[in-house]
Amino acid sequence: MIEQILNSLSQFLPEVTLVAAFCLTLLISLILSSKGRNRGRVAVPSAALLGVAVSLFFVLDQAGTSQSIFSGMVVVDPFSVFFKTVIAGSSILIIFFSLFSSEVQNAERYRGEYFSLLLALTLGMYLMSASANLLMMILALELTSLTSYVLAGYTKDAGDSSEASLKYIIYGALSSGLMLYGVSLLYGLTGATDIYGVNKALSGGEVDEVALLIASILMIAGFGYKISAVPFHFWTPDVYEGAPVTITAFLSVASKAAGFAMLIRFFKVSFIDSSVIGLPEGMWASLQGFEWNKLLAILSVLTMTLGNLVAIWQNNLKRLLAYSSIAHAGYMLMGVVVLSDKGLAAVLIYFVVYLFMNLGAFLVVMMVANKTGSEDIDSYKGLGYRSPLVGVAMVIFFISLTGLPPTAGFIGKLYLFVALLDAQWVWLAVVGALNSVVSLYYYVRVLRNMFLRDPEKDAGPLAFSMPQVVLLLVLLLPTVILGLYFAPLVDWANASVLMFGVR
Amino acid sequence: MVISAQWSVALFTTIIPLLMLTEFGKILIFFILGGVFVAGGLIASWLLRPHRPYPGKLSTYECGEEPIGTAWVRFNVRFYVIALVFLIFDVEIVFLFPWALVYRELGLFAFIEMAVFLLILWVGYAYVWVKGDLNWDKPAPQVPTLNFVAAKPPARPEPVEA
Repeated sequence: MIEQILNSLSQFLPEVTLVAAFCLTLLISLILSSKGRNRGRVAVPSAALLGVAVSLFFVLDQAGTSQSIFSGMVVVDPFSVFFKTVIAGSSILIIFFSLFSSEVQNAERYRGEYFSLLLALTLGMYLMSASANLLMMILALELTSLTSYVLAGYTKDAGDSSEASLKYIIYGALSSGLMLYGVSLLYGLTGATDIYGVNKALSGGEVDEVALLIASILMIAGFGYKISAVPFHFWTPDVYEGAPVTITAFLSVASKAAGFAMLIRFFKVSFIDSSVIGLPEGMWASLQGFEWNKLLAILSVLTMTLGNLVAIWQNNLKRLLAYSSIAHAGYMLMGVVVLSDKGLAAVLIYFVVYLFMNLGAFLVVMMVANKTGSEDIDSYKGLGYRSPLVGVAMVIFFISLTGLPPTAGFIGKLYLFVALLDAQWVWLAVVGALNSVVSLYYYVRVLRNMFLRDPEKDAGPLAFSMPQVVLLLVLLLPTVILGLYFAPLVDWANASVLMFGVR
Repeated sequence: MVISAQWSVALFTTIIPLLMLTEFGKILIFFILGGVFVAGGLIASWLLRPHRPYPGKLSTYECGEEPIGTAWVRFNVRFYVIALVFLIFDVEIVFLFPWALVYRELGLFAFIEMAVFLLILWVGYAYVWVKGDLNWDKPAPQVPTLNFVAAKPPARPEPVEA
């Protein structure tokens, strides 16, 4: 037993690093804060940054391993390594964002809490992408949720930030309650909490199909809340609008990635029928008598349609991006519906692309809000002339979010649609394409304000500091380059669809 | 007692399997039995006890003091922080007891394991301490003085015109 735990620990180094960094960051901030408020401006973020960087190093060190640790609670496999890399990458970028965010810097009293909770949030997401046991999934989900509730209300003097936090807690509590109920039903049906045991029991047949349907719908409530899929999306616009931009950006990318990782692992491991013979290479079969992928297809159509249609009416750019992120969750769900490794690889590709373009869009929102103090689309009038670099960057990010060539967003969508057509899901592909057309309208509406409208009279050119411009370029260049040269990304994604214990 | 033990054995070995209950069914039986147990106790004592109330007996028990005002008062929010901190250390003790029992067998590993656990807890303790959540700010007592200014008599309500 002890040998097993010790062996597991050596495969658990990324998470251990994060825990250590969490304690260290908190202690550093405490030591510095007791002797005056203003210290720790450098030390605290550096400690957090170092922690995530070291844990990313350990994650990359795990590439290629595939094993289950801590008595099957957590697995280390290429799939989890991929998602952990995406999460750690966005975490590092968000720490840099925070250094430039006036919202975060103004609340310097709570700097230690902010950065240490970012680390805890990253830890929760790591565990979400790696857990192979229903109880571990719930725990990881709760760790992620609780820390993000606090972070969403970080600027607690602002009313809408507290509102965001409260709404997030209420929806989150309900969703995780529903999911917990689903887990208990699933345990009652199968007598197993680890997802491999669940699969074994379900493949054996003799499970009440109605109860299974109810259990999986309840499970989807938990996953859907994390990825903000449609019937469970209500918190998204309010939280994205009220939370500090840095946290909004983090939630929109990393939290969604972790939710998708958990959803995909749960469905692909426990709800497929591995006894079906004669399937084409790289395809899976859903359980007999329960085609859960059709359920997800409905969810996907609802999610992207509602996200895109409501985004048209938004005047606050953070809210617009919130609805756009709902729509993107819908696109990515299409890749899960097709039940093929190709679709899964497309989702992974999309996440890397989405990381750059969505964080980029949020960075522009933050930089402009720092200067103008407003996130309204009207305040973007003439921005393209006030700051050409930021204007052009926003054009590229938005074109990429729409999915037009020659940007990375096009590659992401291309692989998704190819996977759909390969699996004969033509109608879903058509719905997805139509939705992309709708999304073009509201993205271009912002761009029109930026380039075709005159700025307000007293608005001079906006100047941004060098580090901010460098950070913008760090996000901008991959968005362009991945649209032109994407072979390494595709290879990496194809290699990362392998999960532990699945053939 | 013997009879009841026999009965409960019979209940769990023969009768329930006869009913072909699922795992959830057993939980249902558990709930029902729990309700019956509580209700049975209350009803039995209500039937058996003498019933002679008087005002002193019916009042709220406050350690012999006369209760003043209602029980629904606002508590100082600090109590909740203290309760949370207490809870953490309570759980720590719950974890320490079994650890102490198997410490001899597990040796160094157990020591390091518990040291890590306590270290993380102490970080939390240090946090609460530094942030001043353990300080109990007493409001300065307001000593009544003799040279008080007589309060103004309440203003007379304006006569309402008919």
